[in-house]
Amino acid sequence: MREEAQLVATLQATSVKERNRFGGIFRDHVVDTRQYLDHVRESTAGTQGRPVKLFTNHFRVTSRPQQVTYKYNIDYMPDIEDGKVRTELLLQHKALIGKCHIFDGSSLLLPQKLLSPKMELVSLLKKQVVKVTIEFTSELTPTSPDCLRYYNILFRRILKMMELEQVGRNYYNKREATEFSDHNLVIWPGYVTSILEYETSITLCADVNHKLVRMQTAYDLISALCDGFPAKQDLQEQVSKQLVGSIVSTVFNNKTYRVDDINWEETPRTTFKTSDGAEITFVEYYKTRYDQVVTELNQPLLISKGKWKKSQRDTPQEPVLLVPQLCHLTGLTDDLRRNYRVMRDLALHMRLDPEKRQHELQKLMNAIQTNKEVQQELQLWDLKFDASFLSFSGRILKEVRIFQGRRVFDSHPQFADWSKETRSGPLLNVKSLDHWLILYPTGNYRAASFFLQSLRRVTPTMGISMREAKILEVSDTVQSYTTALENHVSSKTQMVVCVLSSEKKDLYDSIKQYLCVSCPIPSQCVIARTLDKLQTLMTIATKLAQQMNCKMGGALWKVDTGLQNTMFIGIDCFHDIVHRRKSIAGFVSSINQELTQWFSQCLFQESGQELVNGLKACLEAALKLWCKHNLFLPQAIIVYRDGVGDGQLQALLDHEVPQIESSLKSVYPKDSGVKLTFIVVKKRINTRFFVESEGRLRNPLPGTVIDVEVTKRQWYDFFIVSQSVKDGTVTPTHYNVIHDTVRFTPDRIQCLTYRLCHMYYNLPAGEQTMRFVSCNSPFEVY
Amino acid sequence: MASGHAPQRPLGDAKPTPRSLEPGGTGLSGCRLGRTAGAPAAQVWAPQCNSMDNCEVPSKKVIEFKPPVYEQRYYFVKNLVNRHGLRKIADLGFGDATLLWMLKYHRCVQYLVGVDVAARPFEWGGGRLSPGVGGYIVPRELDLTITLYRGSAVQKDSRLCGFDLITCIELIEHLDSEDLAKFPEVVFGYFSPGMVVISTPNSEFNPLFPASTFRDPDHRFEWNRTQFQTWALDVAKLYNYSVEFTGVGDPPAGAEHVGYCTQIGVFQKNIAKATESSISEPEEHVPEEHIYEVVYTTSYPSLQQSKYFRLTLSSESVKAIGLMKSRFLRGLRKREGDRVVPLGSCTPQFGLTEAQRAEIDQSPKPYSVGEKFYVPLERLIIYPKVNHLVAGSMEKLRTILAEGLRLNGDQSAVQVELVDYQTQRLFDEHLISPVLES
Repeated sequence: MREEAQLVATLQATSVKERNRFGGIFRDHVVDTRQYLDHVRESTAGTQGRPVKLFTNHFRVTSRPQQVTYKYNIDYMPDIEDGKVRTELLLQHKALIGKCHIFDGSSLLLPQKLLSPKMELVSLLKKQVVKVTIEFTSELTPTSPDCLRYYNILFRRILKMMELEQVGRNYYNKREATEFSDHNLVIWPGYVTSILEYETSITLCADVNHKLVRMQTAYDLISALCDGFPAKQDLQEQVSKQLVGSIVSTVFNNKTYRVDDINWEETPRTTFKTSDGAEITFVEYYKTRYDQVVTELNQPLLISKGKWKKSQRDTPQEPVLLVPQLCHLTGLTDDLRRNYRVMRDLALHMRLDPEKRQHELQKLMNAIQTNKEVQQELQLWDLKFDASFLSFSGRILKEVRIFQGRRVFDSHPQFADWSKETRSGPLLNVKSLDHWLILYPTGNYRAASFFLQSLRRVTPTMGISMREAKILEVSDTVQSYTTALENHVSSKTQMVVCVLSSEKKDLYDSIKQYLCVSCPIPSQCVIARTLDKLQTLMTIATKLAQQMNCKMGGALWKVDTGLQNTMFIGIDCFHDIVHRRKSIAGFVSSINQELTQWFSQCLFQESGQELVNGLKACLEAALKLWCKHNLFLPQAIIVYRDGVGDGQLQALLDHEVPQIESSLKSVYPKDSGVKLTFIVVKKRINTRFFVESEGRLRNPLPGTVIDVEVTKRQWYDFFIVSQSVKDGTVTPTHYNVIHDTVRFTPDRIQCLTYRLCHMYYNLPAGEQTMRFVSCNSPFEVY
Repeated sequence: MASGHAPQRPLGDAKPTPRSLEPGGTGLSGCRLGRTAGAPAAQVWAPQCNSMDNCEVPSKKVIEFKPPVYEQRYYFVKNLVNRHGLRKIADLGFGDATLLWMLKYHRCVQYLVGVDVAARPFEWGGGRLSPGVGGYIVPRELDLTITLYRGSAVQKDSRLCGFDLITCIELIEHLDSEDLAKFPEVVFGYFSPGMVVISTPNSEFNPLFPASTFRDPDHRFEWNRTQFQTWALDVAKLYNYSVEFTGVGDPPAGAEHVGYCTQIGVFQKNIAKATESSISEPEEHVPEEHIYEVVYTTSYPSLQQSKYFRLTLSSESVKAIGLMKSRFLRGLRKREGDRVVPLGSCTPQFGLTEAQRAEIDQSPKPYSVGEKFYVPLERLIIYPKVNHLVAGSMEKLRTILAEGLRLNGDQSAVQVELVDYQTQRLFDEHLISPVLES
């Protein structure tokens, strides 16, 4: 499940264009957060643990320009939006600027000075005069971070030269596509690269990436639905449900659009006014311009309100009308995601183990080294890369001690797994199941009774006493479930278990809404199918019992953080891609010393803003609750902040951290000396680590910490590998301590963070770091 | 650059020209980039110079063409290509490759070559000419190769021999007298394509423009109709071509006597039709001579390539099967031995003509066995898109599908899962009809 979520995340990342991602990384990389942390002025590296030789998917830049380079600003009059056109117009003056140049769309980097600091040139765009102004802005020293930005642009040009095609920010090799004929899907392999400066050197980080392409047009989808829903009303509703919010690409010109609405009034025979004022039908337009024949004349049209940019969210945009037959669907749908077979097939293909990953990356590097044109281009700038993975020493932390009841055991050093141990003894803090309900839909009695039987078998060893549940059969509708709940839930009810016939989002949502809002009772939903497999039934029953116990306020186990009177806070942010407007932030905080009880809250906020504005209220409520449980305020607060977009580091420093500090000030008495540590967590990163054993690259063991070479000089940061994966390559998590008045030593913060990774109860096997962030909060990520 | 179709300058002359006075564009009258395929007509209108500060206010009235003349020239070529179904086309002086880009969409076109003295590798972006994502998702029917060369129209290169059409749009007026003298021998004598299209400004039109000089400072001459036609007829006679004259950019009302803004000569090789179809191969007596430098080349995925054919065929089949499957599951079914067969015909009601539906109704029905769903190939092949792809050949359908999908034991039907990510929804929403026990 975790791996699937990861897979989904990768696919999403590749399907939604993130335009400013690159610029964002650069903005973050120049933020010096370490300058304020004088306790780590000497070193941000720890010493504990067993040293281990590691490899990473970074290639050291062995040579780069050593002279000053010159930066020029380029302006267009009239202004030109399209980056390609801007390049084209500038390069009409190639004789002037020379062969050796890097242009990012608005500024130009040259190895030599131009004759005059400001030049006005005239270019022609389709017979129209465009004035291009080249103006000198600054000299860049070879070490300037700005230089790196240009090297990255150069590198992208190189990938293009190697016949890799750009989709969004990444480059794909379409000739090596893999077909999934049964699913009508194709996957293209590709690369994601970045050249950045780290602790002691500049490296090229390269990772393998995949692009999912669906061989299906919007019209195919509509016609399938037409066939299924003869009633017009139903049809329109279904089509909207499936298409609105999705990204389509028009194959003839390779543009992508987001579908915002469906226009049922118009058809491809509708005429529209071109910019010259001529009236033309869509059919004629596509025929004359692209030789595309629209065969279905009765299809509706798709409406796209244009690209969504954070900066432009208030400016109204001219909607674009699209013909479904010419629009291909992209990305994963819920239907696809829910299908086990599809996801398994995709995962098998996309999950590369360390050996395969290295092989693919080595292929890229070899191609770079042997391509004549690429080498010529690189030589112009004297850029050279190492041909093999960067290697250095990491450390493996000691296994984490788990406390469960009177028993103590260590997590398995190989797999970070302790599920076996947890099953064989009583939990830390047990809640008995006295009054509880089980709802199951007609036809699923078998699943429900299997579940009950196996619960009866696993609960005694866990120390959970369980009375008979009230068992209710319902029909498979939202109405039926809610009626049953209304009739049978009482103030004594401790837990409601709902068996669902399948993964139906609306039913799940309605149940959760009823039991969270209307009548707050802990609940557990389980899909009948998962209870059908006898061989896994005991494991599943154990996990469900653990979850139920947690939800009822019990606790499974604890880990020793080594800290007293410390509150842990997890914050995560999500964006609603469909409605474009809202951002959701989740906030959880520990309210007892054992870290077994948590306070959670959701925050909604307008627009694509990442920063949590309602933080103050949350924090105050959390402190109040802590105080109620402990009778005093915590002495230190440690925030793990996830869901931070690239380029927002400065904003965190400028707004979020001060906001927390000022909230603390208002709650605590003066000179209370309350400490705050703020750690930025990043899970979606392209850096991977490997160890070599028996001549093969393998995943590093859980507990591997990296705080040299690929960390940054101006950050107090480190990586932890906290999980073990059966297939594929493990993804490390990056932690960046940006504020720390607790004054943690590297060893202590690394150790603490690793221990906290063992907190989540859903999957003891190395749930990928910090999932306590979302635990207990009403929404799960996936 | 120099003119609407960019600069074909003799070698060594690569400096950009600052400004065009060519009337085709809207450079002096605003900055709209839009184009349409509306009826070409010139209007005289008073200039409104509002969107550009740096443009001179012309003293005379400006002529605006709709669509712009450069675009009319491109559409002229496009229509010609379409009308004659031309396969192999070269554009001398391709400039920003707009014409090549417009031509790449034609189904009939299989070889596109551009030659330009100022051709630059990479940077101007093969982007528009590359197949892009779409080219892979919806492959063309026929192969297409696009190659761009750096070279001049007065250099011989054997790779330009044997084309169906060579276009020289607004090219010859950039040639100095020496190059102009060499040009016919290279293009007509050596390249010797089936057709040649040459366009050049008609100087008789110039008095209608504000400026009284050449339309572009890089122009070495601008001919009137007599000059152009005399030259063209001489060339045609010498190299055994016939030539017809036409043009684009209609003169405004009252000035019809000046003729088109751009004059065009369409040259056709005088040879028997039989040899015309075989001219694609370079004639044997032409020795290999490679002077041009390749700056870009790409080949498009097409249905002629087995990989993309298989992909497209299985994609169309899976779509058709999907529609059948959903009908099958929703309709009444009964058990017959180990098979479950539909009572209805499972014919989609959407996107098919009545005749096609009737034919499908008659064909063997799909069925299921356990978790698998089977569609007889005899039925699948009736679906118009599938049928078109395999040209009605059952053997082809069977062989190709067997590579990408699974067939049943006797290879008479395609086998897919009954429950997939699309039909899952039907199960979830209880839209599946029960199977009648017989």
